[in-house]
Amino acid sequence: MTDRGIQAGVLLPGMPHLLADKPATSWAALADSARTVGDRLRALEPDVVLLLSTQWFTVLGHQFQCDPNPRGAHTDENWYAYDYGHLSYDLRFDVEFTERWAARVDADGMQARRTRYQGFPIDTGTIVTSTLLDPQRTLRWAQVSCNLYADADTLAQVGRAGAEAARDAGVRAAVVVVSGLSSGLIQQWIEPAQDHIAEPAHDRWNERILQMLTAGDTDKVLAVREDYARQAQADSQFRAFAFLAGTGVAAAPAQLHSYGPLWGTGAAVLSWNLPAPA
Amino acid sequence: MSKVFRLPAPTRGTTTRTRRPDSADAARPAPAGRRPGIVAGYLSPHPPHLIYGENPPQNEPRSQGGWEVLRWAYHRLRRRIRDVHRPDVLIVHAPHWITMVGHHVNCVPNPRGVSVEPIFPHLFRYHYDFHTDVPLAEAIADEAADLGLVTSKLRDPGVRVDYATIGALHMVNPDWDIPVVSLSANNNPYFYSEASLGQMEVLGEATRRAIENTGRRAVLLASNSLSHLHWHEEPQLPEDMEREHPYNNHQYRWDMKLLETIRQGPTSRLRELIPEHIEATASETKAGSLTWLLSALGWPDIAGDVLGYGTIIGTGNAVVEWTPENVDD
Repeated sequence: MTDRGIQAGVLLPGMPHLLADKPATSWAALADSARTVGDRLRALEPDVVLLLSTQWFTVLGHQFQCDPNPRGAHTDENWYAYDYGHLSYDLRFDVEFTERWAARVDADGMQARRTRYQGFPIDTGTIVTSTLLDPQRTLRWAQVSCNLYADADTLAQVGRAGAEAARDAGVRAAVVVVSGLSSGLIQQWIEPAQDHIAEPAHDRWNERILQMLTAGDTDKVLAVREDYARQAQADSQFRAFAFLAGTGVAAAPAQLHSYGPLWGTGAAVLSWNLPAPA
Repeated sequence: MSKVFRLPAPTRGTTTRTRRPDSADAARPAPAGRRPGIVAGYLSPHPPHLIYGENPPQNEPRSQGGWEVLRWAYHRLRRRIRDVHRPDVLIVHAPHWITMVGHHVNCVPNPRGVSVEPIFPHLFRYHYDFHTDVPLAEAIADEAADLGLVTSKLRDPGVRVDYATIGALHMVNPDWDIPVVSLSANNNPYFYSEASLGQMEVLGEATRRAIENTGRRAVLLASNSLSHLHWHEEPQLPEDMEREHPYNNHQYRWDMKLLETIRQGPTSRLRELIPEHIEATASETKAGSLTWLLSALGWPDIAGDVLGYGTIIGTGNAVVEWTPENVDD
């Protein structure tokens, strides 16, 4: 593999419970895995990390974050009553690369929309991810929104455009997608110890998908994705994985670091091609 | 669209996260001569384009106008609010305060800040500063919990107020001189392929009980668009009205079918038609705001008055008034 373009990939959940002071066992395991993956991601010393979070959803075109340094505080509109509902962020975005990526999306016949506004609401998933993967804020991100109405092929095309932009720019890049697995939330206020995958059928589907991913059966995952979305309420129809696959990084078997419940949803930390732990 | 989240039916006996207040002014009666209760309900859509088109001082972007017919409908509504209904409080249910667990009620006394809309930040960067009718807000949350809904009282002023709440409230009352109660949507319009409206019936009932028990004179706002398929790309000039028209004739005809039924009444005919309209048009009413409104009104045997209809990026939007017969002006 050349050392230019996409080198590695990560999929992880963006629920704020990963930052809880008193987490459930599964929340702590997922958070620890995310921190470990972050260490390995930073050891790769990427010039830029492409990012898609299902919690930044849009409906018009594909929005690109072009503010070089969004920073501030964010109170989650659902989890505000908990310690983990209160987040702060200070992100570094590689605007030059983002412009290249957006231009590539435009050139491919899609609509790229540049976003740079003071006070723009950074989504919880992005904040949680950057906090866990990059606590010292050394990584430079390039983020595109998750268009609610874009089909999986289109999101794959957006990912492919990012990979091509990285190769064209001669930069060493990684890709991170923030997505859950099944999304059957428990509709009660629970204690962390009460957490469990909401439906056994969802659990079985998640396990099936994880087996495919760790076997490197990317095409099989993409083939069953719609079924998975219908039967396990997969987060944003698991289109984030299509985006990841579009970058070309998911052809190899994934390494599964953790899997467990997050308020009834299924969540996993997965990586592709990360350097071995130091 | 596939479902991402699914909400099971509410479990009886679940509780709100904070205790019922014993506030002395929780039961503040309306002044003499003005009967308390729900004096009007409005379907009051919120697309940020409407505020953008108005160019109010609170919103940073400037426009050349646009979407005038809908905005004129809101101007009529404002006169009705000011001259006829004269409410103590505006209560809004909005689909973009998306809550993942439970039905939340904003109990922050004075929400203020800047709301940058994540999808249309170029159209909507709004400086808001308004006052909540806290006793009524708490009463709605308590009644809803008593009826078995999972609820939460938002008391953290750090939560950004969403554009659907602001959009409806500004268009109804740009002076913001009437206290407000805002309710979250516990079902995401973008993530559902099927309507899940049962809980909204219960929330409407809870809202009505709280209004009666506190003696408020209230106007209810259902912050929903109708048909909800829309363009995926935007013209260079967002307010280019040459580009504005229904997404397709199917969507338009279904909106007209719903509005004709509203115009004819009674509202009970909408119980079946709203889910059909949702199925046919991906209507934003699947967020439940309209069902909440009509439930709070008690599904009255009256017709609605369609003040205006227009499209916004292809979606159907109508401003509609229902005035219950049993409440004096």
